[in-house]
Amino acid sequence: MAALGTAIDSLTAAMKCNIIPNQEYLLQGSVLDQYVEVLLHRLRGLCDNVDSGPETFNDHELCYSLRANNVNTPMALPLRVRRALDVSDAPFQLRYVGQQELGDKNRPTVVRSCIDMACSSTIIEFLSELGCRLDFEYIARGYMFRKGRMKVTVSKIFKMNGIANKPGEGVEAISQSYLVELSVQAPSGQDAIAEDMRVFAEQLRPLVQLEKIDYKRLGNMM
Amino acid sequence: MGVTILTQFPVENKTGPQIIELLSKRISALGAVPQGQFLVDCETYSSVPALGHQRTVHVLHNSEQPATVFALLETGTKTIPLATDGLFDLLMMKMSSFYQSKKQTKAESKGPRFEIGDFCVKLGSVTVSSNFKGVLVEVEYKPCVVPAMCWDLIMEFMQGFLGSLGPTTPPSFLQNRMQDIYSPIDTIQQYLEHFTLFRKSPGPALIMRPQ
Amino acid sequence: MQQREEKQLESSLESIIQRVNDLKASLASMIFKIENEYESLNWPKFLDNYALISGQLISLSKVLSHEKCTNLRNLTVLPLMLSPERDEQLIQMTEGRITTFSHDLVPDYLRTKLEPLAEKKMLQLEHKAQGLQYDNAQKQIAAYQKVVTHVWDIVSKAREEWEVEASSRGNTQQNSSVADTHLLVAAVGMGKGLKMGPNPNGQPNSTSGGMMVAPGRPGGPPGQGPIPPSSQAMSMSKAPSAIKTNIKSAAQMHPYNR
Repeated sequence: MAALGTAIDSLTAAMKCNIIPNQEYLLQGSVLDQYVEVLLHRLRGLCDNVDSGPETFNDHELCYSLRANNVNTPMALPLRVRRALDVSDAPFQLRYVGQQELGDKNRPTVVRSCIDMACSSTIIEFLSELGCRLDFEYIARGYMFRKGRMKVTVSKIFKMNGIANKPGEGVEAISQSYLVELSVQAPSGQDAIAEDMRVFAEQLRPLVQLEKIDYKRLGNMM
Repeated sequence: MGVTILTQFPVENKTGPQIIELLSKRISALGAVPQGQFLVDCETYSSVPALGHQRTVHVLHNSEQPATVFALLETGTKTIPLATDGLFDLLMMKMSSFYQSKKQTKAESKGPRFEIGDFCVKLGSVTVSSNFKGVLVEVEYKPCVVPAMCWDLIMEFMQGFLGSLGPTTPPSFLQNRMQDIYSPIDTIQQYLEHFTLFRKSPGPALIMRPQ
Repeated sequence: MQQREEKQLESSLESIIQRVNDLKASLASMIFKIENEYESLNWPKFLDNYALISGQLISLSKVLSHEKCTNLRNLTVLPLMLSPERDEQLIQMTEGRITTFSHDLVPDYLRTKLEPLAEKKMLQLEHKAQGLQYDNAQKQIAAYQKVVTHVWDIVSKAREEWEVEASSRGNTQQNSSVADTHLLVAAVGMGKGLKMGPNPNGQPNSTSGGMMVAPGRPGGPPGQGPIPPSSQAMSMSKAPSAIKTNIKSAAQMHPYNR
């Protein structure tokens, strides 16, 4: 039997072959509460999981950042933990999301680098002891659809109230709309999928306008 | 997945391959069948000064759980274990401005793997940044997940081919976890304990059993 | 000049012939269906065929009324030679319908007026109309007009209902709000309105000076937690537009802008 390669070797090989899905293609929009049923109905018709219906989720997302106190070169590494509140034995999800690129007008979606990992529930203590600071957290409840490689989520975003609150208690919706996200994770360079997403987003108009949203501009606007 | 006991086998004045061969012969004589190779490796990262007090992250891989990456964070007061998947290595690269790897401390244990009845035996020769440091013997008893319920059996089995050099007390890491359900990260913790000792020792370790 | 006209005539004839052939084919297939598939033929299928034929008729009349099409009324067909002999070529051209180009058939086929029977009937009707008394005629016109207005009312009412429905569907373009989208995306992406600073007295943080909460926004951030200097970027992204200079410098330090 051949000698075993190290895990790092296989990771480097995977990186060379460009098979690691480290890019996220993203479109975002929203739908008012009173029309969410119409949207869900349409998605049920358009998406793959027709028979089983949409998958519901009730997740708690914690957004951390790792920062160093260098005065000259401020650095921050954003990290997110997502855990299911409705499935107690599901693994936690750790996610790094990089800077988003809007690209030019011809590029149909936002592209950002990302790394998704499943992990044990110790991740929360791990991150806080690692030096990460919890920036904010929220509850997302809603529905998930699939269409090929595309993922559609329709989620209601809740703010956590109280100081030492238990997730799921004393939450407050932050708007009268559902957040709608269409995303695909793929290895870098697979820009063709973005075109598929544009076509799919077109089918949801005028119910939802899925668009490239510029975080930088949002930061200044609001 | 059962309970695993890791113990160091003294090198004395033999070479690593000699000891591995000796132990392979002994275990084969008992009826063990070779089942490929195994590899456990460990990379250690330290926090940069800008991040505040010093913390250490050990990232370990075990060929027995090829899709999993284990991370152990040492804060000085406690150790936090984390089991995650292969892309965690990629994340560590992203964290390179916060946590830097100590290249000179890359440790690994690799060697042949045997199966004999309900036991799985691994004979690993340990290197720290490519220098031979010693031999680690891993024995797993697969049908049981509570250490207290199978420790005596494993000890007896190990003495069967390690003789008087086999362990007589449970590994220190397991001593106050004997009634808990055993999981793969416990094996990793035992490896880290040994790797840390090997890193501190100057040459091929003399008899240095953890406690 | 003449050559051009000739060409035009040729092309318009060609398109007319093509459309007539289309029409003929659909008519034939419909007749075939009625004759052979009457057992399985259902009403919707029949209507489909009918719609096809009426569509073809419309396109034929469009071609005929097109300005580029030569006015056929201005052209004369002059039979130069009539013969009682069987004409093989004619049979082939007419798919066996006409065998001879003879004296008794030609007047019927080249006729441009109505059929003799229809012509006679028209004449009778015209005669009757002329003989009608004025009052009577007025009465009939009034009755007829009443019926037409009634139908017109029904149609326009239905149309009004349609339009209201369509415009209300148009209004449902308001089933999403751009402001909500931005609010949600900023919340999920940057924690806008979700940050709960561990601020014990619940008072606005004095160190961040110009911090304000955008008015009227639900769930605005109550305050600001103590933040290390390097993390000002995050908090600055929430600053009101009043302090533009700060925003610019902060935007560069924003974690998403690296």
